[in-house]
Amino acid sequence: MSEVILKATNVSKIYGKHKALDKVSIEIQRGMIYGLIGENGAGKSTFMRTIMGLISINEGEIELFGETGVRGLQQSRRKMGQSIETPALYPELTARENLRVQAANGGVGDREIENLLQLMNLKDTGKKKVKNFSLGMRQRLAIACTLITNPEFLILDERTNGLDPSGIVEMREIIVRLVKERGMTVLLSSHLLDELSQVATHYGILHDGNLIRELSKEELARETRQYIELETTEVQKAVVVLDELAIRDYQVINGTDIHIYEQLDDVAKINRSLVLADVNVLRIGTTRQKLEDFFLQLTGGTHRA
Amino acid sequence: MLNLLTAEKIKLIRSKKLWIVLSIFAFFPIYQVANSRLAVHYGTELNQAIDTVINGATGVLMIEKNGLTILLVMSAFISFFIGEEFQHGTIRNALSLGRSRTQYYLSKLVVASSLTLVGAILLTLVGMISYSMVYGFGEVAGIRDYVPFAIKSFSTLYLLILANVSIYVMISFLTNSSGSSLIWSFLYTIGTGFGAGIFQHTEHFKHITFWFTESFLFYSNFAHPADIARFPEMAMVSLITILLTSVIGMVKFNSTDIK
Repeated sequence: MSEVILKATNVSKIYGKHKALDKVSIEIQRGMIYGLIGENGAGKSTFMRTIMGLISINEGEIELFGETGVRGLQQSRRKMGQSIETPALYPELTARENLRVQAANGGVGDREIENLLQLMNLKDTGKKKVKNFSLGMRQRLAIACTLITNPEFLILDERTNGLDPSGIVEMREIIVRLVKERGMTVLLSSHLLDELSQVATHYGILHDGNLIRELSKEELARETRQYIELETTEVQKAVVVLDELAIRDYQVINGTDIHIYEQLDDVAKINRSLVLADVNVLRIGTTRQKLEDFFLQLTGGTHRA
Repeated sequence: MLNLLTAEKIKLIRSKKLWIVLSIFAFFPIYQVANSRLAVHYGTELNQAIDTVINGATGVLMIEKNGLTILLVMSAFISFFIGEEFQHGTIRNALSLGRSRTQYYLSKLVVASSLTLVGAILLTLVGMISYSMVYGFGEVAGIRDYVPFAIKSFSTLYLLILANVSIYVMISFLTNSSGSSLIWSFLYTIGTGFGAGIFQHTEHFKHITFWFTESFLFYSNFAHPADIARFPEMAMVSLITILLTSVIGMVKFNSTDIK
C-alpha cells in the first residue's frame, strides 16, 4: 500500500456564520497529482491553507506524513512546499535573492539556486527586480521558491491564474516534469477542470465548502467519454434494436435520450437499423460530454460567460 | 531562529527602507548642529535644559533630543517591514515551512531592536562628534563621572525607545497591514506622547502617565539629578512594556489566520 502523505479527516473551517469548509475528508498518497476543483469561493485555498497551518481549523484532524499534533505537523511541513494564490515574492529583490531568502527560511544551502533558475527559465534575469517581472515569470519564480527546500509534497493553488495560453502550457509542463524527475506528490487547485485534467491523476470536487465527489483520472475519463447520443420518442423499441445489434454499453438517460458508449464508428448502421425497425429517430450523432459540463452537472451550476 | 534571522539579513541589506532610516539617523545630528550654530550666530545662547545637547559631552543625550523623530521613523519602518510580509504574502513562505510563529515574531522583534540600537548608536556618535567639532566636548553640568553617566543614560534612553519599538511590532502583527499599522502606531505615539502632557496637569492621573515610556522620554531631563535617580524606574517600566506587548503580540499572532 502506498504511503499516505496527507490525510484530512472531517476538516471544517467556519468564518462567522459561513462554513468555508464543511467536514472535508481527503487522502493523498505518495505519487498522486491530486486536483482540487471548485468555483471561486468553493474552499480550495482555505483547504490548502489549513494544510499548511496558515489558518486554524474548527473541527477535524490533519495528518501529514503520518504525523499529527502541533509539533509533528510543524516537522512534516518542512518536507512541503507551497504557492498559494498570488506569487508571494519580495518585489524589490532579484530572482536569485528571493531564492536565497527562501533557502535561509528553510535552513538549506544556496547550492540549488542556479539549478532552479535554469529549470524555471529564469537564469538570464540577472539584476532585474521581481517587480519588473511578467506574471508568468513571477509564477515560475514562486514555484522555484517552493522547490528550494526539495519538498516531497507540493501544494500549488491556481497556478495558471492570469497566464496566457503559452504560459499555461509552460506551467503544465513544469508540473509534469517535477513529478517525473523529482517524484513529488502534488496537490493542485483550479477552477478550470479542463486545465487540471491535463495533469492530475486524481480529483476532488469542492462545492460550497463540501467535497462532493472524488474520482480518479480513469473515472473522470469514463464520465466524460465520447458516446452516441440518440434522441427518440420510442425508447423501449430503440432499446430492443440496440440489444439486437449486440450493443451492451448504453444508458437510458430519460424518456427520450439514450447514450451509447460502443460502436462509435457505426452511427450510420445503428441509425439504419432503428429506421428499419420503425423507430422514430429525432436525432443521432456522436458527442462528448465536456469536462466543464460534467463539473456543472455535479455542482448544479450554470455556464458562466 | 538563526535561519529566520539570516533571511531577514538578506532582505534588509537590499532594502531601501534600512538605508533611509540609517541616513536619517546619520544626517539629523549634522543638520541639528548646523542649526544650533546658526542660532548661536544670530545671538541665541544654547541652554542644556531646553536644547538638551549643547556640546560633545551632552551629545550622549541625542536620543532624548530626537525622541519623537526616532519613534516616528521606527514606527514607519516597522509598519512597512512587517506589514509588507502580510501584504505580499511572503509571511506564508516562512510559516508554511513549519517555522514556529513565536520564532517568526521574535526574529522580527530582534531585527527591529537591532536596527534601533544601530540607529541610536549612529545618532549619538554623529551627534557627539559634530557637537564636539563645533562647541568642543565640554561637560555635562553637575556630572562628575561622565562615563558611567553616559552608559547609564544611553542604556536607559535606548530601553525607553525599545519599549516603543516592541509596541510597534505588536501593532504590526495585530493589524497585518502596513497602512493600518502606520496609522495606529502614529496615533499611539502622538496620543501617549502629547496626551501625557495634559494628564500631568491633573493630580489623580499624573502617575498613570508614567506607565507609558514616552512620558519619561518626553518629560524628563536626563542630565538632571532628580530624573537620573529615576533611571531604574524607567528601565523597569520599559522592560515590563516589552514583556507585556511581546506576550500579547505573540499570543494574538499565534491565533491569527494568515490570508
